[in-house]
Amino acid sequence: MAAFPLTSNFQGDFVLQLLPVDTENTMDEVAAAAAHHSVGRRVPARPGHTLRVRRQGASELMSRTLKVSESGLKPMECIEVIWE
Amino acid sequence: MALLGRLDWYNLARTTNWTPGSVTEDELFPPDMSGSMGIPLSKWESYDEPYKQTYPEYVKVQREKDAGAYSVKAALERSEIYEKADPGWQAVLKLHYGAFPRAEYSASTAEARMARFGKAPGMRNMATMGMLDEMRHAQLQLYFPHELCPKDRQFDWAHKSGDTNHWAIVAARHLFDDMMVTRGASEVALGLTFAFETGFTNMQFLGLAADAAEVGDWSFSNMISSIQTDESRHAQIGGPLVAILLENGKKEEAQRIVDMMIWRAWRLFSAVTGAAMDYFTPVADRKMSFKEFMLEWIVSQFERALLDLGLDKPWYWDQLVADLDHASHAMQMGFWFWRPIMWWNNPAGVTAEDRAWLEEKYPGWSESFGTVWDVITDNLLEGKKERTYPETLPMLCNMCQLPIASVPGPAWKVRDFPLEYKGRSYHFCSEGCQWCFEQEPERYAGHLSLIDRFLAGHIQPPNLEGALNYMSLAPGEIGDDAHNYAWVETIRAARQKAAA
Repeated sequence: MAAFPLTSNFQGDFVLQLLPVDTENTMDEVAAAAAHHSVGRRVPARPGHTLRVRRQGASELMSRTLKVSESGLKPMECIEVIWE
Repeated sequence: MALLGRLDWYNLARTTNWTPGSVTEDELFPPDMSGSMGIPLSKWESYDEPYKQTYPEYVKVQREKDAGAYSVKAALERSEIYEKADPGWQAVLKLHYGAFPRAEYSASTAEARMARFGKAPGMRNMATMGMLDEMRHAQLQLYFPHELCPKDRQFDWAHKSGDTNHWAIVAARHLFDDMMVTRGASEVALGLTFAFETGFTNMQFLGLAADAAEVGDWSFSNMISSIQTDESRHAQIGGPLVAILLENGKKEEAQRIVDMMIWRAWRLFSAVTGAAMDYFTPVADRKMSFKEFMLEWIVSQFERALLDLGLDKPWYWDQLVADLDHASHAMQMGFWFWRPIMWWNNPAGVTAEDRAWLEEKYPGWSESFGTVWDVITDNLLEGKKERTYPETLPMLCNMCQLPIASVPGPAWKVRDFPLEYKGRSYHFCSEGCQWCFEQEPERYAGHLSLIDRFLAGHIQPPNLEGALNYMSLAPGEIGDDAHNYAWVETIRAARQKAAA
């Protein structure tokens, strides 16, 4: 377990944000952490939708159970958190 | 005894180059300090500028300008202009005074660089007056807000900002140190006087003076006009230099510096001037939008100046024009949402009247930035103020040091421009900022953005308290909503009326 900083680019938000997570967090947990800083603050909630994570520019979504430590993400890499 | 007319002696008196005997030319004018680009001393003597002001004339005119600015201020001191001003205009003053006066001293250093190391005699002459201009600008813009300090402590930032690690000041210093104090005379002339002053400040000060007059702040308007007339003179230093560089085969070098500094200046202006014109200035007093202002004065007129001098439009010109649709809105939104880390109280600028103006000036605003303000407004209407504050930091660009931000909502266009350089990851807000870095990576690579400093443990404790302390924001200075959320109540009343 170790603190791991990412950059969150949340769908519909206007700014990139520093997103402190943990190497043991899953992508679902990363998405929830990102949502904490965007949804209900500047982005309206979308009931019935799931949040998914992908690398910036990638079309492929990361597995929801994939851990940060297994993802190959670099510290401060920009992830896109999108509604599915 | 009859005196010669000025034009009968001016050029001769200004021809002050000589052939050094006891030192070499490079010792007298070190290439790094002069930015001489290998052009010999003799070639610089054709440098000419249109003002041809003499020192006695300069002193006389400057004395009159100073007397005018200070006497208007004194005459209006009891008129309570500041107290009666809309909090939005008060925010314009605080942002302006915090961002610029100390940078004027840096500009004085820049002019001194040209006054001593410029190889063109005419440049040295103009820059000597420019150096004095910038000292005057610093002193005016420190003295005027100093008298407002007893009325509002946030004005203390006019003097204090330059010594802090406030994020916005780090951004301003990154640009001004690059442009003004760490380059040779030629690069300073191209970057500061041609790109920044001709392109931006000269015009921006005209607009700012007009806005101040519109809101009735004659004291500020008069002072800014007084400064602008200096700017319009010493901003002419760069143009004749471009001619010399082009004549001597240095177009590529000139274009590169001009392109870098226009981009860098544009980024800072999108934050400072963009937010002030589109949100801070009360809607009834807004003459034109930031986009209209930029299109008329910068894109159109400055573009003509570039082409007339034989330079090309910067490669990113179309991107800059496209960015006019969203840059000011994104910066304003960041200012407001992270308002506890500002030294001014930031207006929201989203009453029904404001929103109608924004949609008219920026078609599509309601579907993009408006959706974000909808969430914020609903939270305030429902008493969830805590949801209108951030719990983390915005990512900052490793070049302009401003938040990496763009269009929100359904047309979401936000993205990072990442770069790996010598094992370190850099993040940029735009292709333009990344390109600036790549022009001289070793120059910029060592700098740490506020985010880099946070991650490196420089900010302790690593929370809001630590951040405020690191940025020297004292109690009584921390920003909040400029109108104390009164705009929310106007929206509540309108909704209740509509429901009834």
